[in-house]
Amino acid sequence: MSELSATHFLLLSAALFIIGMVGVLTRRNVLVIFMCIELMLNAVNVSLIGFAWELHQLTGQVFALFVIAIAAAEAVVGLGIVMALTRRADTVDIDELRQLRE
Amino acid sequence: MSLQVLIFSLLAGVSILGALGVVIARNPVHSAIGLVLSFLNVAAIYLIARAEFLAVVQVIVYAGAVIVLVVFVTMLVHPDDLPEFHGRRPLRVATGLLLGGALLLEVAAAILTRNLSGVPGPWTDQTISLIGGNTRALGQTLYSDYMLAIQLTALLLLAATIGAIVLARPEAVSERVMAARRTLTISLAHPRGLDQPELPPALPLPPDGQVKPAGGGRSIVLARSASEFTEQPAWGEWRTP
Repeated sequence: MSELSATHFLLLSAALFIIGMVGVLTRRNVLVIFMCIELMLNAVNVSLIGFAWELHQLTGQVFALFVIAIAAAEAVVGLGIVMALTRRADTVDIDELRQLRE
Repeated sequence: MSLQVLIFSLLAGVSILGALGVVIARNPVHSAIGLVLSFLNVAAIYLIARAEFLAVVQVIVYAGAVIVLVVFVTMLVHPDDLPEFHGRRPLRVATGLLLGGALLLEVAAAILTRNLSGVPGPWTDQTISLIGGNTRALGQTLYSDYMLAIQLTALLLLAATIGAIVLARPEAVSERVMAARRTLTISLAHPRGLDQPELPPALPLPPDGQVKPAGGGRSIVLARSASEFTEQPAWGEWRTP
């Protein structure tokens, strides 16, 4: 642990991912849940880049680039859904959005 | 502990603090600020890992575009309706923390005991500087080995753009009427005599243009024309509690 290795990157990645996961599980605001999903995608990037750095590969960086592109697409569609949701149901509370269940 | 580890730990610590701020802050705008903090520190960590291009992309796409979108949508959503003011759910919070702690222990154990190691590839610092830098090496890999994937990504971005336009486009009047009919009764007529001032109206005129019948749960909206209906507030505000 005295020299920087992929283990450091993996631990940071795990911490960020789990913080994002706890946020998704505990929060009720759709916007905050959305931000936590972004956090989790970003955590995956950290571990990909850590491995790419340790193994002298570029594949991890290419994968991280694709993850960023897909996260951007997800952000656009997800926020569009939030907009449509607030227009139809006038709330961002996921506990109040249960039309499919009732 | 080398200087590199020290800098990494500093950046990682601030990044984790920002991530904690996202989860803990009650105001979504404060969450967005924590998210920016986390993203910027992760970009600096990419620089330590010699991924310069990805660090720039991280700042532009994540800390720039995505955060701007999030803040815009946060401003568009009714701030009165942000649900964090209506009490917490202690059972859910406890479950989330328990699951998160368990997963953190498992993953940390897996990481700290890992003994698999891959075969090092050809892209050391020397070969990357020989080819002309990280961006050029990444571009050559991307446009030779991952040609199909990057074209599919372009297609995905196009589809996401079209999807966002369809989702965010304002509702047509006919859709609003259809949506309103699910919970309300729209009366296109009006109480007898309203347009003839010498006759008394059959029903008392409701103060806000709607009456609630004593028997049924559905409100009646009085609208004599389409424009009169569209001048009413959005149908969601009529929801019966």
